[in-house]
Amino acid sequence: MTDDITTDPSRPSERMRAGSMVIGKLPWIVAGLFLVILPVIFPSNSAITIMNQMSITMVFALAYNMLLGQGGMLSFGHAVYMGVGGFACVHLMNVAGFFDYLPLPFLPLFGGLGGMALAIVVGSFSTRRAGTIFAMISLGIGELVAACSVIIVVFFGGEEGVSADRTVGMPFFGIEFLQQREVYYLIAFWLMLSAILMYLFSRTPMGRMANAVRDNPERAEFLGYSSRWVRFHSFVVSGFFAGVAGGLFAINYEILTEENLNLTTSGTILLVTFLGGVGHFFGPVIGTVVFTLVQTVLSLETELWGFYAGLLFLATVMFFPGGIAGLIMMHAPAIRLGRASRLILPYLRCLAPAFIGILGVAALIEMVFHVRHASVGDEEMSLYWMTFDSHAVAPWVVAIAVTAVALALTKRSAPALRAAWHDANTPEGGAA
Amino acid sequence: MTAPALELEGVTKSFGRIEIIRGVDLSIAEGERHAIIGPNGAGKSTLFNLITGRFALTSGRIRLHGTDLRGKAPYQINRMGLSRSFQITNIFAKMTVFENIRCSLLWPQGYGYSFWNLVHNQPSLTEGAEQILEQINLTARRDTMAGLLSYAEQRALEIGITIAGGADVIMLDEPTAGMSHSETDYIVELIRKVTEGRTLVVVEHDMGVVFGLADRISVLVYGEIIASDVPEAVRRSPQVQEAYLGTALEAEH
Repeated sequence: MTDDITTDPSRPSERMRAGSMVIGKLPWIVAGLFLVILPVIFPSNSAITIMNQMSITMVFALAYNMLLGQGGMLSFGHAVYMGVGGFACVHLMNVAGFFDYLPLPFLPLFGGLGGMALAIVVGSFSTRRAGTIFAMISLGIGELVAACSVIIVVFFGGEEGVSADRTVGMPFFGIEFLQQREVYYLIAFWLMLSAILMYLFSRTPMGRMANAVRDNPERAEFLGYSSRWVRFHSFVVSGFFAGVAGGLFAINYEILTEENLNLTTSGTILLVTFLGGVGHFFGPVIGTVVFTLVQTVLSLETELWGFYAGLLFLATVMFFPGGIAGLIMMHAPAIRLGRASRLILPYLRCLAPAFIGILGVAALIEMVFHVRHASVGDEEMSLYWMTFDSHAVAPWVVAIAVTAVALALTKRSAPALRAAWHDANTPEGGAA
Repeated sequence: MTAPALELEGVTKSFGRIEIIRGVDLSIAEGERHAIIGPNGAGKSTLFNLITGRFALTSGRIRLHGTDLRGKAPYQINRMGLSRSFQITNIFAKMTVFENIRCSLLWPQGYGYSFWNLVHNQPSLTEGAEQILEQINLTARRDTMAGLLSYAEQRALEIGITIAGGADVIMLDEPTAGMSHSETDYIVELIRKVTEGRTLVVVEHDMGVVFGLADRISVLVYGEIIASDVPEAVRRSPQVQEAYLGTALEAEH
């Protein structure tokens, strides 16, 4: 990664792409290969289910970040573009004879067109202003379309939604998409394609001006661009890729319901994107991986996963507004100076106790929850592969003691980490 | 004779009941360097914002190369060949210096709302931006985030963005506001260099800046132009001395 961030103005090839954080070809090839071998590493059905879910959310989150990160538009109702794209696709799957002409892998294209059509209509008035007005309009549209699901039953299928069968179509080079793994490769292909196209969009005159309008709409106007039309274009393209995600959802789950349109889904994608980091192209990808793991793996372990997800989001907003991607990229200067290794030990000294402290806090939360909510007489709980009586004193004493000591250690090692950070980011002989 | 680059005719502007601009007539010929000066609160910035379409006129007419600007949005006025800078530095702080300039070249080079070209594959954009950087002496700061530049450098970048598109009418709003003497001299020299052969309209509070730069000076006091002439004549005008120079001189002592 570091190679792509630093630019040497004296080399012409570097000069052409200097000026912003440009991703070279290599990370794309690595990502593509990784997607190909992933099902070999994790062949179980449940793993592939999670990976499918992740890939779909990634497309959606990247589309969402075209608005939030690159265009500076905060949308509270972006699920509707994915939802409408998805509904368009389930209906197409149900059209008799449709697949005689078109193999299944092309279906997400129509999802994209569906999402784009809605985005053109809504964007024509919602992109006049950015900021609060845009956010409020998006919220209103989100509510409105979600409510339509029980009004326009023909299209949205009311409360039970619309379902379809992806296997009715003609085989695509002998593939019938009966197996999860076949669907995985279909989704992975669209993920790569969408991600590359979205990345390239950010490098076009339109994409650059989207950033310009985000930072300073007035200045952009005096460079000959209408801020409103710049926002409109980003909005429509984002709607298209959200619709592609909807199409993939339709193929994977073979059903769409009101849940795909509502504000919860819209809120989740905002959370995912922000968690990953809006300032970097790959931020939403990281956000999706982390959030999906929290959602699927952590939810198997505890009923309180939503609580922890909320805490994680709060911590991100308050302490690292750049998200996880921002946190990673913070280290770029130290790596460029060749001093990142100086951070390893202080990090270990600070983060190891911090990790134990966080686990301790989580343990206390779980114990309180167990005492309050377990059925009467059920006093035995298990946590971190230990089984104990949640009403006895000893486990509480141990949990509180471990947590307190761990947090105290974290606090004590923090100044050393801060000093090491400063040292690693100061060039040799620099006074800064 | 061709139409003047910029022509104002009976321009007024009221905010509520308060009339800020009270009937301004002004004609600026092509290639002229024109300065509008006046004490604080005279309406200089308002006049500037009227010309560039940021505010709507209350009455009167403004023509750019003979075309009426009524009802035109800022981006349309810009496309007709008028470019402006801002009094408060108005750059894209989160982009690099190079990208700031490149953004200002996109429309003039005809890229419009295109999403089928990649900006880094366009040699004319890269070369154009580098030429501008050369002109404003920021080549060394090419890949620095614009927000991290020093104040004087940001002002220079602001001027670079303003002139980059090749507009033939350049309007600068207090380009030396808040600068030290040496910085002011530097920026004035820069302005002289980069506006060679173009029409320049500069609004200034600081008299010293414009006397050496402008071909003609208009003095704006309480929303009216009380004098419009070559610098020496303006300096000698008793009306101007009373209204402006007097107060300025008093303020200096």
